[in-house]
Amino acid sequence: MTNKRSLSEDQPFGEALVADYAPVADIFDEMMDPAAGVRPHWSAFLSELGQQTAPELEHCWDTAQRLVRENGTTYNVYDDSGASVRPWRMDPIPMLVAPEEWRQIEAGLIQRAKLLNAIVTDVYSERRLLTDALLPAPLILGNAKFLRPLQGAQPKNSVHLNFMAFDIARAADHRWWVLSDRTQAPSGAGYALENRIVLARTLPEIFRDAQVHRLAGFFQTLSDNLIAETGKDEPLIVLLTPGPHNETYFEHAYLARYLGFPLVEGADLTVRDNKVFLKTLTGLKQVDLIFRRVDGDFCDPLELRTDSLLGVPGLVAAIRAGNVIVSNSLGSGVVECEALMGFLPGLCNALLDESLLLPSLATWWCGQDAERDYVINNLDNLVLHPTFADSSILSVSEEPLYVDPANADMRAAMIERLNRSGHEYYAQETLTLSTAPVWDEGRLQPRPIALRVYVCADGDSYRVMPGGLTRATSSTDSHEVSMQQGDASKDTWVLSDQPVSTFSRLTMIDQTLTLRRSGSNLPSRVADNLFWLGRYAERAENSVRLFRSMVLRLAGEAGASDDPQTLTRLTNILVDFGYLNRHSARKAVAGGIRTVEREMAHLLFERGAPNGLPELIGNLQRISSLVRERLSVDSWRVLNGLNQTVRENASVVRLDFDDVLALLNHILENLAAFSGMQMENMTRTLGWRLLDTGRRLERAAHTAKLMRELAVEGDPAAEGGLDLLLELGDSTMTYRTRYLSSVQLSAVVDLLLVDDTNPRSVAFQLAALDAHMEALPHDLEAATLPPERFLIASLRSSLTLMDIPRVCSQANARGKRHELAKLLEGVQDQTYEVAEALARKYFSHVLPTRAVSAISLVP
Amino acid sequence: MIYEISHRTTFSYAWNVSISQHLLHLAPRDKPGQTILQHGFLVEPAPTISQDSIDFFGNNTTYLTVEEPHNRLNIVSSFRAAVEPMVVPQPTETPPWEQTHAAMTNQADPAALDALQFVFVSPFTSSLDAGAYAEASFPAGRPVLDAAIDLMRRIHADFTYEGGVTDISTPIDQVLSERRGVCQDFAHLQIACMRALELPARYVSGYLRTHPPEGEEKRIGADASHAWLAVWVPGFGWVDLDPTNNLIAGDEHVTVAWGRDYGDVSPINGIVLGGGAQNVDVAVEVKPLHEN
Repeated sequence: MTNKRSLSEDQPFGEALVADYAPVADIFDEMMDPAAGVRPHWSAFLSELGQQTAPELEHCWDTAQRLVRENGTTYNVYDDSGASVRPWRMDPIPMLVAPEEWRQIEAGLIQRAKLLNAIVTDVYSERRLLTDALLPAPLILGNAKFLRPLQGAQPKNSVHLNFMAFDIARAADHRWWVLSDRTQAPSGAGYALENRIVLARTLPEIFRDAQVHRLAGFFQTLSDNLIAETGKDEPLIVLLTPGPHNETYFEHAYLARYLGFPLVEGADLTVRDNKVFLKTLTGLKQVDLIFRRVDGDFCDPLELRTDSLLGVPGLVAAIRAGNVIVSNSLGSGVVECEALMGFLPGLCNALLDESLLLPSLATWWCGQDAERDYVINNLDNLVLHPTFADSSILSVSEEPLYVDPANADMRAAMIERLNRSGHEYYAQETLTLSTAPVWDEGRLQPRPIALRVYVCADGDSYRVMPGGLTRATSSTDSHEVSMQQGDASKDTWVLSDQPVSTFSRLTMIDQTLTLRRSGSNLPSRVADNLFWLGRYAERAENSVRLFRSMVLRLAGEAGASDDPQTLTRLTNILVDFGYLNRHSARKAVAGGIRTVEREMAHLLFERGAPNGLPELIGNLQRISSLVRERLSVDSWRVLNGLNQTVRENASVVRLDFDDVLALLNHILENLAAFSGMQMENMTRTLGWRLLDTGRRLERAAHTAKLMRELAVEGDPAAEGGLDLLLELGDSTMTYRTRYLSSVQLSAVVDLLLVDDTNPRSVAFQLAALDAHMEALPHDLEAATLPPERFLIASLRSSLTLMDIPRVCSQANARGKRHELAKLLEGVQDQTYEVAEALARKYFSHVLPTRAVSAISLVP
Repeated sequence: MIYEISHRTTFSYAWNVSISQHLLHLAPRDKPGQTILQHGFLVEPAPTISQDSIDFFGNNTTYLTVEEPHNRLNIVSSFRAAVEPMVVPQPTETPPWEQTHAAMTNQADPAALDALQFVFVSPFTSSLDAGAYAEASFPAGRPVLDAAIDLMRRIHADFTYEGGVTDISTPIDQVLSERRGVCQDFAHLQIACMRALELPARYVSGYLRTHPPEGEEKRIGADASHAWLAVWVPGFGWVDLDPTNNLIAGDEHVTVAWGRDYGDVSPINGIVLGGGAQNVDVAVEVKPLHEN
């Protein structure tokens, strides 16, 4: 083997890339044939890759990782806090599949899809497979995924399975075997798409030259087919997700956006008169098809699992009434049962009159005498599993059962269980996975892989995604491949022997769209979240501005003219606004500037600090992840970057003024970029209006609050209060250009409160709010203004009628400007009232549904 | 015997419910030895949807929605049923319990296929300890009904009837260790015991005729719904056993519905939107009209 250290840093890899690669003996390697060298379909790819230098390749790898991070591609891992989100791990070397081989896989999977669909169809209708004993009844009747309330509910055209996935792997005999069938709501297709987008950008030239089948056409077929299922020209199709805590929520949002379906949770839907409706800001919209990512038994708490909070009560009745299509159909998970795999060859002959093309991993269901005896005789060479992981008495997990060959008691107990309750178990052969190269420690290394391939309905047949999700284990000897265990994924390149169609999903062909100006299907829950996103973004900006002013004072950089009282003033504001605790602030002020610094460091970097920087940005990140599918990729990137910046700084304990100012400026710039994108790139939909409404309300209230602190008492002009007010209100420059250097209270009040040409003034916010309220759906016939508009109108008129010089000069004996104080208080209180009125009016039908039970059982 | 039965359930809410949806298993079914003469529902306020259908097990179901604001929902189910005394095989003459499983393997036989589904663990009957408790009643070769009746007798003897200590989500193993519960706990327990031995058993929901204490007038509405189980005897069919009262169900048990467990036949399962605090009031009356 060539020593890789001999390679010069700036020389292309050339032959060394391959010469360094050492497949494991006796294991099939996808790239390398130990006798004949590199397999033909890899050679073009490798020679192009070999023209790169080590630093170039490292750069590619870094780029891939960065793109994944920037796009916020995540995979949630369940834990107690529900907070563990980790980036998707991706390997920069694609898995290549030769054209001829792919044709075989494709044909095999299409046949399998048809077969499984035929089985589901029979199980929920005639049950001929059971009465003719082609299928052992326990595998259906004892299966928790067999949903009895759906018996007899036949979808149109008998398509139960619209979208499914198959895990396949290559065994030592060089053939591809199916490891599992995913027929409920398979995950991963969105990640496959994301991998492709990232890799095509990481290795653009190689990708272009390689004649790789594109994925977009597959998703087009999926979406076209779902639309066709509804029989309508412009159906309302929604993607139903369990919500942001689900492990693959990222993908749900990603797919919803890619396919153009609203992403909804169970609470966004309601069943009225046996029809399913989406609750939107503009009222209820009838849903034609639900593309679900929620497991079947969780979909209707009325007829299925009554403890489910994810479903839509009444959904099953609506399905039975034929008023909505759920895809894949509820109950289609029944054929995921792996013990079924041993029966597929026979079922294929019986139902399709064909031989099964792709074999399944050898499986013995112990509910039959001969199979059970075989398993008992070969117990040490097989992997034993519970047939129905959900309902088995012995096991509640899907982990295989391990029988220690050395433990005679354990063996005997297991054999006894198999003899008594054989139907609860099945056994499978172990499969030695083939290996493919991954990029590790600066070179190609063989790792075991499995492929997940996707199939969607296409009229009365099926179509296979030319590609998929290749998963590689992190160690060389593992047999189990699962995304939850931290393995890496790879893009899958299905090579074509002809030039490929570069159709992209974004260029519609042959289709005349009805021109539309706004998407009106904004779910109320999403509207609520957008509203809060606006509020949190503005709140973060206001807070960071306050922190920055404070740090500037601490660093002594605000200029010599600054009044020494300003520091105390700022500290008071931080206390009054709830950033600093009164007690600790008093101690800090008494303890001198060093103690104040410590308090600030706490506020800026401590994770648990209430209203501290990490919490503010964390809130922003959390709420934005709830509306992820509504934000542009760039907006998301900005927000995601912010969160990372704050996280990276979380360990800082000492206040280095230059670093902190740079950090706060950086954050402000990013927040400004986010709000800029919101202003310049978002279409003026209802969603945008709510986002902006949140922002405007927050800004009006905050400005009023600042003015109450700095302009109501004493002589603000003399004590530096007005300068600070202008600084915090981001209006210093405007003031300077208007009034040169004389800072006077009435001029500042005019600028920040009444001047509706200043985008930072209260009047400006109120005008914007008025316009938003007008545009939001409301009763056009009503004679009186709704409460929120009344509140805004009355505030606006009191500002218009305000006699500024009088209000600013009239003060009581203790120097307090009563009238100004009252007005500002009014602004602050009424903006919050507006927020509440909006919530009542537009978001309140989001109230959760609750199960009731009437148990009257006594004797 | 002909019974006149009424079952009233009243939900009241602290404030308005904007929409409520209920799935009822309240309309009784016919079965061998039981004929429903008439049945009717009274629902207030008037339901938006009231849809009758038959579920997987052949039970009558009613899907009910009220789609206007309401703070009270009243559901009354009333019917007349003619019930004949059950003909039961001589327990000691039934086949050995071990032969039951073989009798279910013919999938072409609808009765066997139907019985088979009641062998598997279902959500409310999952238990680790039931098998061990059952064993004493099932020595090798004992006739299946004889063994099941013995198991029923033991449950009745070993367990204390006590309301309020369990609810529908109490695990069977807890009932087993604490040795007390109510009728659905005992039904679930015996079902779990039977199934641990691969024997089919189904949950039955219905009503029981009650007898007022000597010399007292029977109080209207003092009855309640009841639950028991049925076991399958090869070559004969289902025999209803009531472990709460140590009885083979005869003409004092009126069947409403059956399923794998309570979850399949819950009398009223409902979802309401809004409403706040709620109160449920139930009154059942089982009135024997006359002997047949």
